[in-house]
Amino acid sequence: MNCYEHTFIAKQDLPSSQTKTLVNKYEDIIKKNSGKVLKTEEWGLRNLSHIIKNNKKGFYFHIKFEGIGTTIKELEKAGNIDEMLIRYLTVKVKKHNLEENFFEKKDYLENR
Amino acid sequence: MIKKRRKFNKKQKNSRYSKLSLFQKPDTNFFKPCPLSGKNAPILNYKNIKLLKRYISESGRILPSRITSVSLKKQKELSRSIKRARLLALL
Repeated sequence: MNCYEHTFIAKQDLPSSQTKTLVNKYEDIIKKNSGKVLKTEEWGLRNLSHIIKNNKKGFYFHIKFEGIGTTIKELEKAGNIDEMLIRYLTVKVKKHNLEENFFEKKDYLENR
Repeated sequence: MIKKRRKFNKKQKNSRYSKLSLFQKPDTNFFKPCPLSGKNAPILNYKNIKLLKRYISESGRILPSRITSVSLKKQKELSRSIKRARLLALL
């Protein structure tokens, strides 16, 4: 079993009720293909640094999991077909850092 | 008048390059240690945007290691993580 990180960007016009179903869909794909989800992070709506396929903003999701080669094959196959996604990236890591979240929402931003 | 003379003398002593000539080694050390390796080095990652932003120019190009004094091993890691961040439109 290897450690992987999967990040994907969903389109801005995704309704808020549908965010959970989208994440659950990809978690199910991992679980079905002999994988194991360790942690999921939501980075929220962010501005893209450059325009991708006429999109200026996107919802970021981040999944940390363990799996094998076929897990990623299925994951990327689903990512290519999905129309709601702008882009995805899977990265192999030696060790998971489950504590630190670089895109945590700060309190003063929420209170505004 | 005396004060002015003192100031003039001080400047001569403190200036770094006063003794520098072609056949003399400079007193100052131009070597800077690598900021990304060592004990208390920050985590180099494609998610750590704050760190990566220090190593790109205003127009978004990767800075050469001769300017930032990053070691060769870390420069390879750095350029890889910057390219990953670009793909996700974080930089």
